[in-house]
Order: sequence, then structure tokens, then C-alpha cells
Amino acid sequence: MPKAYPLPTDLSPATVANTASLVRIVAFAFISGAAIASRLFAVINFESIIHEFDPWFNYRATRVLASKGFYEFWNWFDPTAWYPLGRVVGGTIYPGLMATSGVIYNLLHSLHLPVDIRNVCVLLAPGFSALTAWATYMFTKEMKDESAGLLAAAFIGIVPGYISRSVAGSYDNEAIAIFLLMFTFFLWIKAMKQGSALYGTLAAVFYFYMVAAWGGYAFITNMIPLHALALTLMGRFTNRLYVGYSSWYAIGTLASMQVPFVGFQPVRTSEHMGALGVFGLLQIVAFVELVRSHVSSKQFQQLLFSGVIAAGILGTLAIVGLTYNGSIAPWTGRFYSLWDTGYAKKYIPIIASVSEHQPTAWPSFFMDLHFLIFLFPAGVVLCFKQLRDEHVFVIIYALVASYFAGVMVRLMLTLTPIVCVSAAVALSSVFDTYIDPTEPEVSDGDKVDASKKDKSAATPASGASVVGLLTEMVTSGPSTTKKAKPTQRGIFGLDTRAAVIVNALGMLLFFVMHCTWVTSVAYSSPSVVLASHNQDGLQLIDDFREAYYWLRQNTPKDAVVMSWWDYGYQIAGMADRPTLVDNNTWNNTHIATVGKAMSSSEEVAYPILRKHDVDYVLVIFGGMIGYSGDDINKFLWMVRIAQGVWPDEIQEPRYFTPQGDYRVDDQASPTMKNSLMYKLSYYRFPELFGGGHAQDRVRGQMIAKPGPSLDYLDEAFTSENWIVRIYQVKKDDPLGRDLKSANAFDQGKKRKRTRPPVRRRSLA
Amino acid sequence: MTPSLGLRGWLRLPVLALASLSWSFVSATSHSFENTAIVRTVDLGGSLVHVTTTYAIRALDNGAQQYLVTLGEKEAHSTSWFEAKLKGQNEPLTIATRPLIPHDGTYAYIVDLPKPLGVNGTVNLVVESVLTHTTYPWPEKASQKDEQSLKYEGDLLVLSPYRTATQRIKVRAPAPRIISYTTPKGLDAFTTDNVATKSSATITYGPFSNIPPSASTAFIEEHQKHIVVHYYFEHPVVEITSLKRTAEISHWGANLNIQNDIDLHNAGPALKGHFARIEHQSQSYFNRLAPHIIPSLTFHLPPGIHSAYYYDLNGNVSTSRLRLTPSIPKAAQMKQYSTLELRPRYPLLGGWNYTFTLGWDSPLADSAGYDASTGLYVVSVPVQTVIPGAVVNQAEVKIILPEGATDIGVFPPFSPLAQERSTHITYLDTIGRPSVALSFENLTDKHNGLIYVTYKVPLSAHLQKPKAVSIAFGVLFLVAFLARRVDLSLSK
Repeated sequence: MPKAYPLPTDLSPATVANTASLVRIVAFAFISGAAIASRLFAVINFESIIHEFDPWFNYRATRVLASKGFYEFWNWFDPTAWYPLGRVVGGTIYPGLMATSGVIYNLLHSLHLPVDIRNVCVLLAPGFSALTAWATYMFTKEMKDESAGLLAAAFIGIVPGYISRSVAGSYDNEAIAIFLLMFTFFLWIKAMKQGSALYGTLAAVFYFYMVAAWGGYAFITNMIPLHALALTLMGRFTNRLYVGYSSWYAIGTLASMQVPFVGFQPVRTSEHMGALGVFGLLQIVAFVELVRSHVSSKQFQQLLFSGVIAAGILGTLAIVGLTYNGSIAPWTGRFYSLWDTGYAKKYIPIIASVSEHQPTAWPSFFMDLHFLIFLFPAGVVLCFKQLRDEHVFVIIYALVASYFAGVMVRLMLTLTPIVCVSAAVALSSVFDTYIDPTEPEVSDGDKVDASKKDKSAATPASGASVVGLLTEMVTSGPSTTKKAKPTQRGIFGLDTRAAVIVNALGMLLFFVMHCTWVTSVAYSSPSVVLASHNQDGLQLIDDFREAYYWLRQNTPKDAVVMSWWDYGYQIAGMADRPTLVDNNTWNNTHIATVGKAMSSSEEVAYPILRKHDVDYVLVIFGGMIGYSGDDINKFLWMVRIAQGVWPDEIQEPRYFTPQGDYRVDDQASPTMKNSLMYKLSYYRFPELFGGGHAQDRVRGQMIAKPGPSLDYLDEAFTSENWIVRIYQVKKDDPLGRDLKSANAFDQGKKRKRTRPPVRRRSLA
Repeated sequence: MTPSLGLRGWLRLPVLALASLSWSFVSATSHSFENTAIVRTVDLGGSLVHVTTTYAIRALDNGAQQYLVTLGEKEAHSTSWFEAKLKGQNEPLTIATRPLIPHDGTYAYIVDLPKPLGVNGTVNLVVESVLTHTTYPWPEKASQKDEQSLKYEGDLLVLSPYRTATQRIKVRAPAPRIISYTTPKGLDAFTTDNVATKSSATITYGPFSNIPPSASTAFIEEHQKHIVVHYYFEHPVVEITSLKRTAEISHWGANLNIQNDIDLHNAGPALKGHFARIEHQSQSYFNRLAPHIIPSLTFHLPPGIHSAYYYDLNGNVSTSRLRLTPSIPKAAQMKQYSTLELRPRYPLLGGWNYTFTLGWDSPLADSAGYDASTGLYVVSVPVQTVIPGAVVNQAEVKIILPEGATDIGVFPPFSPLAQERSTHITYLDTIGRPSVALSFENLTDKHNGLIYVTYKVPLSAHLQKPKAVSIAFGVLFLVAFLARRVDLSLSK
């Protein structure tokens, strides 16, 4: 057989195997290193700090867990959240993340490594990304081979779609969930392929861990049954599938019910019914198989087959019936919003107001996945070529995840692993084909010779076996069997090989550069600290922490702070003060109350504030330095959410100009100008500009002079760049006047006379 | 070393009973001197008031050597630092008896004169002391634009167990703008002139002449006067409510890490109304910040430090500047500092608090020595990093020695309130490091001495860490080795 380039022939098979193993380990070490290092941009550019919003709550809960122990954490009732309602934290969270950090923290401390709990939390996500790379490697190895696995591991290690949720400091459930997702899937594939109850149980254990860690566990709950169902319908039912699925479902479901937040949901809600239905179906199919093995009548089999279908239909009907009956909860609104992208905006504005719940824009697919998105379909097609049982899984996963990623930006995260796997399969096939030194036969005469040679190479005893083994190392396992019959098709010479391989390597290089760039530019900002570039270089804008720290140090411990729910977790975490609403948006009415207070006039808002014991009101204002994520830009969501509960009092159109524009300058509608949010944002803002025009740098509009005045609240603190403004709610006037006239009196204004002064009568 | 005491701490000690017994012995010496003149100067400040009293002494007996300096009860409680010298000399005199001896409404220090005086021998004794917590803001609240004025309250006459021919008390304000001061009445027995005269920034009380021995309750009740001086103060009143300093000595890292957990409080007038950023910005722009606002603090850190860090409960604070100075040789006399201009997250207005952590690493060689003959290491750790004019209400200095250190000796520059030994466990420790915690109160800018610690570290203790690490890795490799080689599967 002709070779495009020579391979060494004097190596023992053991040497080759050991070297390959060593190379794999070294490659894997580098992949882990790259995965962790690329997530440290945030720590290097800023500091070891918890990012954004939800992570602050997770961090706070982890601190409780680390300092007070697990049982205290389990029973934790937090009276400072959702004031005055409070929150049963232990029963309303997925504790997997906190428990993981707690275990790591205690383990390190028992080894006399007193690492700060904050650093454990900050570095948890990068650490787990290395584990994700490993899980993806194992998963892909099942699909194709080790080399595809390594490629997939490298892809998942640095792909921005996953980094966006797992940079250092992004201490959120997704940080560990993607590892659990991939590893559970890997164990499921193993269980299904081997019919191993051990792997099925392991899959159930990791499924339980996933349930404890992330609400997205429902993805696994539906993916595995879907796979089992598809295999059954394809006529691929085997006892291995039966053993794998049954052990996973029985143990996994019972285990998942131990998480308090999940409770009886696995048997009572529609999201979980698919898994139960497939479990029942498999029992029937298995029973039928058993009967068929004893009775061999074709008609009887057909009868049974129709019986199976009837049973399936009956089961479905029973579930539907139970749903109407009320025993099984119907689909939730969040579920509907997955199918109808306009649903949330109409019925649940709180969900729609979160930017990560918006449909994905096309460019973000490229930004998050780069060239993998082009290789992804190729990989899926390659799966069709062999279509082993595990390939069916990849195909289903790819279809389902692609749909969901198109619906919601945040679900890009579940698409990313399968894109990496498919792209790795595709790219690795390209490499297999083009690195393989075997050249096709040129003439018929050589063909016989070559096939003889090939046969001799296939027998392990012969001396030439090393070449065959090496070829096997470089290429994939199954392809060697095909090579037993050399074909006319193939690649000649080194130049064609080089052209394709260099091209592929170039793409990989661009991919790496793109990932580095996206990670450093887009995904590594803590959003608690902002960076601005000026002539001196990088300058940090630290207003959030400044204001939160001021609250923490200079206000009473029980002072209630009202702000929009986005900042609830940060206030609880950094300022340690009770808040009315926070990012756990469980009580729509409470949020709407805050929205109403913000969007009504001072007179209307004041009783609401006093009834809720509010001491301080905190607003975010970006007009001074041009920070666009401020409360005025979020204001319409507050209005909409308030309108949902009080449609008579708050109406969205009133906040627009007659022309239908959303403006803050002198053309703004009176309702807008009198709203608490407007007043708190622009209080004393025009004075900053002296005689000049007071320009709001976010909206590019001029604020009318004089600026708004306040009667019921008083400015308490404003941060250096005016981003955070805190106002104190005045207590009742000690003289019993209403605060408006008391304020007017203090400023020396006379009360307006109700009657015009009596004029001196003319002498005419 | 400079003797100095926080009195309140001493009062807690049971030694007091003993001390009062010894008073009879002390009082025997009390008629052996006469004060020909006493001049006291009270330098008013913010948190601290510096008092300098010069006693011109004449001996009445032969061989008199122990001179008693007495303080009134209130003064004794607020005195946090006390030092006596002979005029024109730099060496402080030893103060024989400690703790303070309470008697008849006064407290006394016994100052040992360097040599006994003959009859009619004279000497000039200069006593310096620092008072804390004797001023308070008045009015108690000030708005962001207002000026800051403080009131000083204290006793007028210098008490002494000896007859005093003449005494004079000067109260010096930092600026000539004094709002009001007390002119005490009922001192006609000692003076005929004006009791108080003010010239520029100084108020002079007296001279008062022919004062009998005054260290007694009877005299205090009859003649001691209470004075109040109300004055403008143009610097912020800085108070550190709590300072926790940890000094960790590492031989393997050749490093001395010093970390301070500081609770800062602006003890000036509380902010009236609310903080308006716009006012603050315009004041800073025109450089006319009200005197009670602390926008930043300047720390003099030791030379040669590196890896300084400044963070608070919310993470790193990036608003500060540090100018480093390289290490200077140990014997060098010149004073050089690394200067840290530290800005809190927000300007500290009256009554506001700010808690933060400030730390740095420095080469151990800069502050350590080794005595080869005894095998003792000596390390010096400063008690505090002084902020001029600030008082530290509570301080705890914890010195963590290397793992396995033995024969530990601690030599503080002045007596601590309490001293405690414990074990501190940190990275790669197996048995933990011995640590010594010293607690102090009311530290002032005069309390800038060094704590010396001596200890021995045997070679086996030095090798403890590599031993532990290599054993840990050995076990790890062994486990991996076994896991790889031992086949546990049932079927072959």
C-alpha cells in the first residue's frame, strides 16, 4: 500500500500505546490550563470579586453555609429579603452550588489551607470548566474516538458560549451545571450501551446532583426519555436500554424528590410526565418482548404490538385526564414562553424584562460559537452516517437544543456542549481523512498486492503490525475495517493534505483568537465595577460598592432599602440591609408595589413607602457619566409590571409624550416628570451644570431647569459619579403638618393665599 | 523605654489594694519638696491634647529623691501617655511606682530623680502627657458647609502634694479664633490680678501664688476650678475605634506581613441634614472642603515594603496612591517612609464610619536579627502605624511566630493591658504557629515604639513544612500507583 509519508516501523505496540496515553494526558492538562486561564481575565483586569446579581445571593448563602454549617443553612429563614414577608431560603433554592463550595471550603480548611470562602466561590466556575472539558471528552469518546474527544474538550474549554456563564466570579448555578449535564449524559450513554445498572445508578446520582444544582435539570429529565422513546420507536429496544433507563429513572426520580425545592414535582407536574410515560412504556415493551420470546406466532406479535400502542395512548390519555383533574400541575408560564416568544411579554412581564430571556439574535450565534456553528451540522450529518444508538442521542440533543437556543439567549448555554461535540466529530473526521498516510491504488495490478499486504498488516503477530497500529492511532477505529478493501477514492500526495490541514489549523487558530478576544472584551466585566478608558489608561468606576458600603457602615442595621429588584441581591450581599424585592422574583405583587411606588407621584408613593417601613430608596442613575443600564431606561418595565396589578392607577401611555416618544427633557409628560423615579434620578442634577445645559449623557436630552424638587424624601448619599443615589424617606412631621407644607415653610415660601389680596379702593 | 500608661486598664487590676497600702510610705516623703514655680501648657487639638508641665523644685530635706506628680481624677483617667524629664535632657526619668496610686481624690506618679538633692537643691522637671477624649464637638452637629468647633473641658489648677509658690496655666488653641473660655471665680485667695488673659491663640490663667499642698479632696472641693474652652479646629478629628494588627513572621518566605484591620470614625460634629454630593464636588473643586470632612488619610509605611493591599468588606479599594521607598540599612539614622495616600470609598463626614483592611509585606531582614551565640532571633514589630492626631481606642497587636518557635520572649515598649498566647494555623501548617496577642487602649501618636520578640527555631521545625508536603505528595502518588495497578474486578 503506498504511503504519502513514511511512518516509523521499529516501535513496539506498547511504546505506541504508552506514548499516545501520555500525549493525551499532556494535551488534557493543557486544555484544562487553557480553560481555567481564559476565565481569569476578570480577576486579572479587575479583582477577585463576585459578579453581577444572582451570584451575590449564592455567595451570601454560601457564607451562611460555611460559617454556620449545613443544618443552619437548610433551615435558613431570611427575614431581610422581601421585607416584610421574608424568605425561606433553604426551601426555595437549588443548594447544589453552595453545598459544593461548602464541601471544597471545609476540605481545604481541614488540610490547613485557610482559603477565603470568597476565593472558593470566585474560582469555582473556572475549576469546574476543566471538569466539563473532561466530561465532554468522555462523552465524545463514546461518539467517535479519543482524538475527537480531545478536540471537543478543547472546544468546550474555550468556547465563549460557555465562558459567558463561567468566568471567574460568575458564581452561578450554571457554573457547575454544565459539567453535571455532560457527565450525566455520558453516564447515560454508558448505561444504555452496556446495559449496566451500575452506570444507570451513577447517572441517577449525577442527575440528583444536577437537580440539586440547577433548574435546567428538566432538560435531562426530558432528553433521556426522548432518546429512549426514539430508540424504541426505531425498533432498537434492547434489554440494555431497559436496564439503563429503569435504573436511572427509578433511582434518579426518588433522589431528585429529596431536594426540598423540587419536592413532589417529579410526579405531579407536566414537565416530568414524559419521563414517567416512557418508563411505563418500556415496562410494557419489555413485557411484550418477554412474551414474544416464549410465544412465536406472527399474528400474536402483531396483536401485542397494537396492544402496546393502545396502552401508550391510554397512558397519555390518563396523564391528560389527571392534568385536567388537577392531580398533575399543567405547564407553567415559563414553559409556554419557550414555545411562544411573545407569550412572556403579554402575560409575564417580569420574565420578559430580563434581557437574557429575549430571543437570540443571529450574530450572537457566531459570537458565542464562532466556526463551530458551521461545523455543527456536518457533525450531526456524520452521526446519521453510522447511526449507532448514541448517535441518535446526539441528533435529538442537537435538534432540541438548537430550537431552545433560538428562543432564549440564556439557553445558548445548553446548545454549546453539543455544538462542541458535533464540531469535534466533524473536524476530527477531516483530520482522520487527511492525516491518514494511506494513498489509494493507482492501478488494478497493485490492488491485489495491496490487499494482501493489508491483510498481513491486520494480523497482529506480523512485524508490520506497528504500522497498522500507528495508522489506527492516527485514524479512527471503524475506518480501518473499511480500509481492508482499498478503494480508488482517496487523497494523493502531501500537497492536498497540507492544503486542507493548514486550512483547518488556520480556522482553529482564528477560533482561539476569537475566543480570547470575546472573553476579554465581552464576558469578563464584573458589572459591579465598571471600567472606563481615558487618557490615563484604565480607570475603575466603583460607584456601586461605594454606595453599598456607605449603606453598610452608616445606616442602622435594620434600615429597609427599596430599589428595583435588579439590585436586591447586591444590596443584601454588599450593604447587608433588608430589601423589599430582589432577583428571586417570586412575588409579582410585591414587585408591582415597588413599581407603583417608583412610577407614581411623591404624594401617592409616600404612604406606600411608609407602610412598608422603607427608610431609604436607592436608584441607579447613569445620566452623569453615560451608564446606560440605569433605572430610567428600565423604568417602562416598572410601569408595565405595576400596570399589570393596578391597571386603573398606572397606565403606560401616560409616560410617553403626545407624539409617543419616551423623553426626559422638557417635553416629557407631566406623569413622567412627577414620577418618583424621575424626581429621584434628576434631583439637583441641573445644578451640576451651573448656567449651562444639563445634558443627560445616556439619552442625549437636556433636562429642564429648575430640576425636580422633593418634599417627602431627602437626598442621603450620591456616589462619586452619581450612578447610585440614595434618598431617605422623611418621617412624619413632628408638628403634624403634611410634609409638603412643612418643606415649603422651611424654605421660607409663603403659603399661597386662597383669595386675592384686597385692593385699595380707588377714589373715583 | 518611655513609660506610659492607660490608667483605666490599671484600675481593673487587683494590684490596687496593695498599692493603696504603700501610700503611707509615700506620704512620708511628701513634705520634702517645695514647688517654686509650676508652668503648665495645654496644647489643644482634636482627639489628643498635649500637656507640658514644668515643675521648678526645691528640696527641703537632705537626700530627697522621690518626687510625686499628682493628677486629678478626671485627668488621670484621660491621660494615656506620661513622661518626665529633667529640663534640657533627653533621657526620660524612671517612674518608680506603677500602677498609679489613688489617694484622697488624686492619683500620683512617683518620679525618681537621678540623684538625691541636698537642702535647697533645685531642679527643673518637665512632665509631658497626652490626654485623650477630653474634647468634644460643639455644636454637636454641623452641616456640610459649616466650620468645626470643639470644646475642651478640664481642671484648672495643677495639683501637688507640696506647697507651690507660684503656678501658671496656659491653654493654647491651634488658631487664634477662640469662641469662648471660662474665667473662673473664687480664686482671690491666690491672685489679685486678672484670673484669665487672652492674647492671640493663648489663654493664660494666673499666676496663682502661695498654694498650699493641694493633693487632697478638701482642697479640690474648695479651690479646684473647671474650665471650658470653645475653639475652632481646622483639621478633622480622627478616631480609630478599633485596630487589629497582625504581624506574621515567615522564615521560609523571609517575609514579615503586617495587616491592620481598622475601624475609622470621624469624631467631629455629626453631619446635620444629609450629604449632598453636589456641594461636596463644588467644595473639592474650589479646594474649600469643610474641616470636619476626611477625604483621605496619609500613612507613613515602613521603607522597603511591597505587595501592599487595601480592601474592605466589599473587596479591593482602588482609590489610593502608594509611593514606595527602598529598604534602608538597619543602622541608618535617616527617616524614610513609603507614603500611602489612602482614600476611603466615600468622603468621611462627621459621625461616619469606615472599616477597612490595610496590609503589606516587608523583607524580614529589615526588622529581624539573629544572635548566633544564643541562637535567638529578634524581630521588631511597630505597635501601630501612627496617624498624626488620631487616637486608637482599642488596639490588639498579634504577632505570629514561625511554626515550632520556642523560648518566646516579648518585650513591648510600654505595658499592655493584657497579653495572651494562642496557636494560629495557616497554609501548610501541621502543628500551628505560636502567637502572642497584646492589647492596648487609647494609643496616641506618642505610642510609636517597637515590640521586640525573641524566639528560637530548631532545625527540625524549619524542616517541618517540606516534610509535611513531601509526605502528602508521597501518599498521593502511592494511592495513584495502587489505584492503577491493583485490579479489583471480579471477573477476568
